[in-house]
Parts: sequence; C-alpha cells; structure tokens
Amino acid sequence: MDKHLLDYNLKVRLPVIAFVVIAVFAITYYASYAERNSIGYTPEQPVKFSHKLHAGSMQIDCKYCHTGVDKSRAASVPSVDICMNCHTLARTDKPEIIKLTAYYKENKPLEWSRIHKVPQFVYFNHSSHVNKQIDCVNCHGDVKAMDVVGQANSFTMGACLSCHRQPEKKISNYEEIKANLKKGPENCSACHR
Amino acid sequence: MSDKDINYWRGFNELNSDPDFLKAKRDEFKDELPEGFADGLDTSKSSAVSRRTFLALMASSAALAATGCSDYREKGAIIPYNKKPEEITIGNPNFYASTCTACANACGILIKTREGRPIKIDGNPEHPVNKGKICATGQANIMNLYDPIRLKEPMLKGSGSFSSVNWLDADTKIIDELKKAVAAGKEIAVISHTVTSPTAKLLFEDFAKKYTTAKFYSYELTNDINKVNAFKKSFGKDGLPVIKWNEAKVILSLESDFLAKDGNFVEAQRLYTESRDVMKKNGEFNKLYVVEGGFSLTGANSDYRIKLRTDAIEEFAYALISALGENNSGIDELIKKYNLKREAVKSLVEDLKANKGEAFVTAGAKFPESTHIAVNKLNDLLATKVYSKENFASPVMPLTAKADIDALVGRMNAGGVGAVVHFDTNPVYHFSPDYKYADALKKVGLVVTFAEAHNETSELSNYVLPVNHNFESWGDHKPRTGVMSTQQPVIAPIYKTRQKEAAMLNWLAEKPEAYAENIYMNYIKANWEKSVYSVVSAKVDFKTFWTGAIHDGVIAFNEKFDDTFTFRPEGFNAPALKASTAAVLQLNRPNYLTDGRFANNGWLQELPNPITKSVWDNYASVSPTYAEQLGVKANDMVEITAGGKTVAAPVFVQPGMADGVVAIDLGFGRTNAGPIGNGVGVNTINFISKNATVSEWLYNDVKIAKAAGTYEVVSTQEHFPIDNERYNDIHLKREIIREGVFEEYKENPKFLKEEIGKVELFNIVPSYEFTTNKWAMSIDLNKCTGCNYCVAACNVENNIPVVGKEQVGKNREMMWMRIDRYYGGHSDDPRVSFQPMLCQHCDNAPCENVCPVAATNHSPDGLNQMAYNRCVGTRYCSNNCPYKVRRFNYFNFRDNLADAYYEKDSLSLMHNPEVTVRSRGVMEKCTFCVQRIMDERQHATEEKRDLNGDNVKTACQEACPTSAIVFGDLTKKDSDILKHRDHELGYHVLEEINVRPNVTYIAKLRNIKPEKKA
Repeated sequence: MDKHLLDYNLKVRLPVIAFVVIAVFAITYYASYAERNSIGYTPEQPVKFSHKLHAGSMQIDCKYCHTGVDKSRAASVPSVDICMNCHTLARTDKPEIIKLTAYYKENKPLEWSRIHKVPQFVYFNHSSHVNKQIDCVNCHGDVKAMDVVGQANSFTMGACLSCHRQPEKKISNYEEIKANLKKGPENCSACHR
Repeated sequence: MSDKDINYWRGFNELNSDPDFLKAKRDEFKDELPEGFADGLDTSKSSAVSRRTFLALMASSAALAATGCSDYREKGAIIPYNKKPEEITIGNPNFYASTCTACANACGILIKTREGRPIKIDGNPEHPVNKGKICATGQANIMNLYDPIRLKEPMLKGSGSFSSVNWLDADTKIIDELKKAVAAGKEIAVISHTVTSPTAKLLFEDFAKKYTTAKFYSYELTNDINKVNAFKKSFGKDGLPVIKWNEAKVILSLESDFLAKDGNFVEAQRLYTESRDVMKKNGEFNKLYVVEGGFSLTGANSDYRIKLRTDAIEEFAYALISALGENNSGIDELIKKYNLKREAVKSLVEDLKANKGEAFVTAGAKFPESTHIAVNKLNDLLATKVYSKENFASPVMPLTAKADIDALVGRMNAGGVGAVVHFDTNPVYHFSPDYKYADALKKVGLVVTFAEAHNETSELSNYVLPVNHNFESWGDHKPRTGVMSTQQPVIAPIYKTRQKEAAMLNWLAEKPEAYAENIYMNYIKANWEKSVYSVVSAKVDFKTFWTGAIHDGVIAFNEKFDDTFTFRPEGFNAPALKASTAAVLQLNRPNYLTDGRFANNGWLQELPNPITKSVWDNYASVSPTYAEQLGVKANDMVEITAGGKTVAAPVFVQPGMADGVVAIDLGFGRTNAGPIGNGVGVNTINFISKNATVSEWLYNDVKIAKAAGTYEVVSTQEHFPIDNERYNDIHLKREIIREGVFEEYKENPKFLKEEIGKVELFNIVPSYEFTTNKWAMSIDLNKCTGCNYCVAACNVENNIPVVGKEQVGKNREMMWMRIDRYYGGHSDDPRVSFQPMLCQHCDNAPCENVCPVAATNHSPDGLNQMAYNRCVGTRYCSNNCPYKVRRFNYFNFRDNLADAYYEKDSLSLMHNPEVTVRSRGVMEKCTFCVQRIMDERQHATEEKRDLNGDNVKTACQEACPTSAIVFGDLTKKDSDILKHRDHELGYHVLEEINVRPNVTYIAKLRNIKPEKKA
C-alpha cells in the first residue's frame, strides 16, 4: 500500500471515523435514555380516570384504592367494585362513569394498560417500602398532578440501586423518615430468586 | 464400634471400582455428543443460503418488524378483579384446611392458594393423625389438578368413539336406564375404592332406597384385608387398632414397611422417631428389628435387619412364639437353615423377653391371614400396651371380599347386572386378569365411569363422567374413631366437571335439571346436623360448629370403643405358610403411585425410589448372589412365572435381599394413563391370581428364567458422587457419613467430637462477619428415614421441572434436593445410611470464586445466591461444587418431554409465583427458600419488629414427617438451630476442605450392641 495513503488513513480518517461513531453513539445513548426506559410513557386507558382529580383535588389516600400496597408485594390496581363504592351514587350521569358502571354490571374485565413494569425475575415488594414510609412519589412521580398517569422515573436496576446506595440523596421525604431507615440491601436475592 | 473401617458405597460400580465410574467421579460432565452423531449429514444437500446469511436476514427483519410495526413500549394489561373476593389480597396466599383423598388414609391437608389457585399442599397442623405432615403423593397431587389430560366434559360412547354430551342429557338417560334395570330386577353395581366418608355411605344407602337393586362394592389394589380378618378372628373386632409407635421400646417388623407403605405411615414415621430424639435430655432410643426378604425403607432404618425369605417368615413367627416360651429349637433350626445372623436373632429374643408390655410385632399386609394370627399371638404373649386407648381404626365400609367380587363378575356374565357404575375406580386395570372383567363389562347394558381422566376402564364404558379433583370437592372422612376430617373445595371446578357424589345425588333428584353446585355440600351439612352435631355435644349452634369444622378441617371428639383386646386362639395352630423350594415373588405397593392412579404424574414418576433410587420404572429386584445363581446381570430381562402366569421384567440387583426372593412393584404398566404414564414399567397385576394360595401379593411357586434382551433401568444412586477417594492420603480423611452406637454415645456423648479431633482450619482472607442474620440448617440423621417427602415439597415449592427418564439417565435430573443412600459393609447384607443433600450455602463457597460473571455470590445474611438473569451457563460453579448440588438447565425442560406436555397452559397455573421459572442455559440450586425468608422480612417490616428466624420454615422442613430438618437464624440466641448446630453429634460433610458449610448433620446412632474394643 502507498505509504502516504496509510499515513492519511491512520492520522485523519481513523480518528474522524472513530469520533463520528463515538459521538453518534453517545448522542443516541443520551437522547434515547427516556425512550429506552419508558420515561414519559403515557398510554391511553379504557376509562378516563384522573389521579389529579381523585388523589389531588379530593385528596383521597392512595391506599384507599391501592389496598395491597402496605400488606403485600403487589400494590394492586383497584378492583372495579372499589370504584363503585362511590360511583353507585356519585356522578352517575357522566359518560365515563356510565362506561365504568357497565363494566361492573356486566362483570366484564377492565383491562388497564400497564405503565410500570419490572422484568419477571425481579421481585419488588411494595409493602416493605411503603411500611418504611418511603413515599410513593419517589418512584411513581407526582401522581397527584397527573391527569393521565405516565411513567415518571426509570425502573431499571440502576435506578433501584441508586436509591439503596444513597437514600439521603434520592428519597424526597428522607429527613422525616431517616430515624427508622436503614440502607436498602444490595445483594442479589433481595430482588432476584 | 469404629466406623473408620467400613466402606460406604452407593452402587455396584462404586463398590467394584468400575473404571468408567471412577472416571465419571472426576468428570462431572460426560461427553455430550455421542460418536457418529453427525453420520449421514451431507452439506451439499443443504440450502444455498448459508447459516450466517439466514440469521442476518432473520434478525434484521425481526428488528424491523419489532420497531416499525408495533408499539414497543406496550407492556400488556393489568386486569383487576371486577368484584374482588373479600379474603383475597393480591400477592398474599390464603390457606384452606381440607382432606387428602389420594389414598385411604385420609390425612388432613392445608392447601395454599394464591389468587384462587392452589399452589402448594402441606399437612394440616391441627389434624390429630398426621399433624401437619403429608406424604409425597399428597403433595404432588396438585399436578393432577392441573393435568392437561383431565376430562373437560361428559363423554358418551357411540359406535366405537366418544363424543361430548352435556350433563343433563347424560343424567336423564342414565336415570332412565337405571330405572329400567330396577324394573327388570337387574342389579346395579357401584364399584368404589375404600369408602372413608360417612356421608358417602349414607348416599349409597339413599341410592339403594331409590334404586332397590343397587349393590356396593369397594376394593383396593393393595390392602390390609388379611390383617383385618386376622384381627377379627383373634380379637373379635372389626378394624385395626391404632398403634402408638412412640410407646414401643422394641419393635419387630416382619416384612412390614410401616414407615413407607403399611397403614398411616406418615403418622408412624413421626411417632417412631419420637423415641429417637438426641435433643431430649436422657432420651432413650427404641430398637427396631426387621425380618424381611425384600429391602424396604423400614428395613433400611432398622437397627438389626435379618434377611429371611418371605415365605419362611410365618415359621419364624411361630418359632419366636416357642422361643418366648423358652423353646429355642425352632429358632435354632431356622438360623441354621437360612444362615440367619445368630447374634441378631438372639438379641431379638432377649429384647422381646426383657421388654414385655413395651414390645410390639407387626407383619406386612402382603402376608396371609395365618401370619397375622401368629403375630397377634406374639403381641398377646408380649402383653403389648401400644394399642391406642383413644382411637380405633374401624372402617366406614369394609372392603368387599374377593368371593363377592367373583360372584359379581359371574352375574355380569350371566346377564344379571343391568348397570355398572365405576365410582372413580379403574377395575379393568386393577382386577386380577382371572376375573376377565373387561369381557364381563361387555355383557352389561349400561357402564358409567366417573373419572378425572380417561383410563383403562373408561374406554369400555358407555358414559364417562368427568369428576372434580380432590381440591374441587366437598367431603367428610372418618379415618378412625373420634376423628372427623372435612374436605372443602378451594377452587371452582376448572372444567365442566362434577364431584362424583353430587352427580350420584342428582340421580336421586326428581328434577335432574335443577342441579346446583352445592347439593352435596348441603347433603353433608344435613347429615352432620343429624348424626355428628348431636354426638359431639358441641357448645355452639350448628352453623358455628359447621363453619368451625370446615375452617379447622377436622374435629376430634371422645368416642367410646371397646379397648380390651383378649386373644382368642381361633386359627392359631401351626404355620400354614411354609417355605417352598421354588422362588418367592412379592408384589409391593409402589412408593408414590399408590395403586397406579398417579401414573401420569411426572413428579412422582421421577421421585427416586427411596432404596433403589430408580426412577420411571418397576423391575424385578433380586439379591446379588441370587442374580449370580440365575446367571443374570442388572438390566437383563427375566421371565417370572407365578401361578401359571408369566411376565417379563428387567432385573435390578438389590444388595441385602434374601436369596430366592423376587420383589417387584405394582401400579406400573398402565396402557391408558396419559402421555406421561403410558407404558412406564411392566404391569405386574397380571401376576395376581384370584385364587392365590398364599396371598394376592405373595407367591412361592415361582420360576424365574433369563429371557432375551436387556432394558435399562435408570437409577440416580450413583449420580453426583462425592469424591472422597482422591484425598485418602491426606492426613484428615474426609468423612461424609459419621455414625455411632447409642450405648457408646450414652457413655461418652463427646465421642464424635473426639473422633473428629481438633481441626485447624485457616483462611488466607479474613472471615466475613455476619451481623444481621445468618441462615443455617440442621438435619438430624437419627430422624431422617429417607422417605423423600422433602424432595417432593421442594419440587412443588420451587417449580422444579420433570425431565423424563432419558434425561435422568444422563445425570440431568433437576431436583434441588436429593437423599443420598449409602450402603455400608458387604453387599450381601449392607447397612444403610441416608443423607439428604442440598446446597450447603458454604461461607467459603468454591462455586462463587469460579463464576466468571459473578452470577453466584454471597449475601450478607449467609445465603449462597444464584442470579439466573446473570448466569451465562459456563457450569464452572457446578464443576467446582464439592457436594454436587447444582443443577443445569440443559433444555427448557418444560418443552422437552412428551411433546412439551409440561408447557401446556393449565400447568403454568401450578407454578409458585414467588419463584422464577428457569429457562434453558442457566444454573440453579437450593436457595434455602429465599422467597420464604423474604416473606418473613416483609411481615417483620409491616409489624415494625425485627426479623425472627424461627418464623421461616423452608419447604423441606415443613414437609419432613419426622421434623428432622431445622432451619433458622444463627445470630438469634437460644434459637433451635443454634442448639442443633452446637450439638455434640453435629458435624459438617467434608468439613476438612474448609468451605464452611451451613448445613449441620446430626450423626446417626444405631441402637445395637457396641463391638468389643480390641
């Protein structure tokens, strides 16, 4: 090969190509961060339920509907009959409530689109976190301000660990609860089994 | 006695130092590609597209499809309950008490359900008989609930094939036919298994009131009818006494496998080991003598095992009677004739004499009435006091005598029977071929078979009615006086099935179209109000009483029975059964398949036989010497002829059996059991003769001859051998099994520690300090009977797949726990040591150091963790494990067997949702049931308290019928586990290699005479 060409390839072409590749990768990596981790994922739901109205304006406690959150691994999406506790009487003339009542009366499954998900080999436990007074907001974002709920934070292993390692930085209500708070475990079987 | 000199071995290859075996010991992973596997591969005929191009095309098109055509953020749906049942919290289990109907013992069970699906079965702790424990079959029964072959709707046979029919049509037509039969004066025969339910008995009576020609029959393939008849003759009572095994100081078992097969063995195991408790201060040990021709689990647990051909055992019993009257001539003669161990027999006679009142003799159910009468006489002479004063096992309905079954078949052939109803029974398979039952069925107008799945009998029926599983049914059971066990459904019928009692009850109704799910429940309730509530003098109203009984699953009350046992010499004379010169054949109840009805349950087929460790087969077991005499080797086919019938079976050479004895299991060789159970083993029911001279299960006119061909019986006994030879030259010999003699232990409790000596272990790195918790287990080998219930429990709890015989043959069984069975001494008469082996969660775990991706490492609470999602499947860890407890998923085992049988939808409902279902290519192993530890951690957080290790019970611990397994937190002072770990008999397997295991074994003590010290 021509010595001059080799020189040119090594000194100019290679660094330029390497730079472009790395730059493209880096930009894509950061730009797609939210997309990759589903942050901002706000699917349409079969019934237009507003957390902003229920949890925000009316200040209904999360636990009123998500009954399992402090006694089970699963927070549980409320069963239709929980909605009907109020809506047998409240706002029965609204179109969404009519839709909801139909589900209830016909005993039809109400299929909510799933927003938050960890892989199946991860065993996250709501009860253990909520009973340590870790606010829902820390993972789920400010649901009280969301008309339609979307994913606010990343649900990756890195996200879990960052909080387990530095609770003081990551937990919004850390000051209130720090007296009874130990660092979260970092061993495998804490989440994987 | 010093155990230093005894050699331990698990099979003949190891005993004889077979070169292949020795190689296998070092090379855990065998060559996986057999020579010539690529023969016939012609690359020129392959497609022009190379593999690489093909993959590239596929990958890019898949990627395009994935990104372009779908919402890749879509995460599926969450479907909550529409109306949530009040008792359910998603993610938390519910427990329901019920009764197991897998066999006639009717043990109480506790069913764990998650979101309405049963996922685990344990014993009901409130139940006075089985006290929280249940056998392997009862635990694995859950697989039958979800079995894909279950019938989904009623079937009607028209011109040779079955078509589905709805219940109402079937009911209407059946009622019509039944009425016709009655009008014609023809018999309606209802054939059932043992009836343990008083309400079912009432149902039969009501049925016979409406259909006046109805008659009821009940049978069991293996039963204790001879024992019952003998007891009736000797003591004039219907039924059998309940034995308080814990109160017997000396037990003599004449070929009775009371720890595994005879009577309620779950209870017997618990009571028997109660007097083998080294944790009790000054606890005495009982002494177990076993005289047998085969090799039973009870024999393996005995202190003295005397091998004697089975048909000479009655003579032995008579000789023993004379010996108790100071006449030793009979016994001496037998010792000489059969070369019995004189020391053992002498000790037996002395012990029986010395322990009158506290000695007990029992004989196996396979013996004829005459043997049991001799045993009754022996117990009378010994003035035994072990019969319970509180309970007596009188049957709700006695089993039908053989003569009556014979008469029924005669009437069927003569056209005198208008209808036959098989009440969830399979007589075409179970009845002796002598009856020619299948032919007789053809002469009956209406044949109705209730069944969970098609079987040999349903094929020949007009109607096959699908029945509810145990866990979908109501019921009540009375296993003995003063105990009523209730059965409740825990899941709505998955398919269009009805429970058989309800379906029959519906035939009594005026309007069969008005059927409702709860008719049988109401029927039971009405019966209880009338006949139970009035008897038990409850202090609450009936509704509360009933709800309480269903909640607890059992009621116990005082019920009087005549508890004096006065021996009557009827039938007691001289030995009626005398040893022949031909061979002896014994037909045994299979360990886990009950009578073959669990043949399609892969977990039970794959659970190793506790003695032979074989899986997926039955075979003719013979002693090594006898095999040599016959000129056969293991896996050779032999033809066995008994009572004029010949069956061919493979040979299994079983050390320790008496010469001239062939033992073979029943319950195999099903032809219509389903894809898993069909054609597994040979059908030995063909041997059973309706006019058997000795008994249905014992023949001594047997010829056995070598036949052509071989058949491989797969046994796990030499799998995962622990290499202890390589280090023989090292100063500290590795000891896997450590044992002692009870007398020596009493004299010097520290003998074991002295034997081990002080072991100096050093570490090049500082030891980790466990501050929060440290999990550990202890297994008491004095209590471990080797029954395998722990293994079954582990399988269910941890979603262990069934791999099939072929894969087990390649060392690929997936069970996380195994029970190693070691023989000690000569193969003619070895002694047996059991050792449950599971991940030892070593502090210095060798597996952890070699994992290239850190998929296995240590948790701060002492667990050797395994992260499946991290594992890349190098298998280095398994190779480096000294205990050989790691299991590799060579396949996605669920889709590997019988056309992906175990991947069918219904079976996925069975999985424990708290444990990952592992896929191909990852390593797995015992986790110390980390999901249960996490559960306790959650509860501790909820209740704002510290985690309490005593609240964590592993699945194996919960299942162990003798409570040999203890689990807990070592950092907790005064915990049970700490006491066990620090016990003077505690040791670790391969302690010297300094891996610091966390499973402590309590050394086994044998209650034998110490050898004189040299």
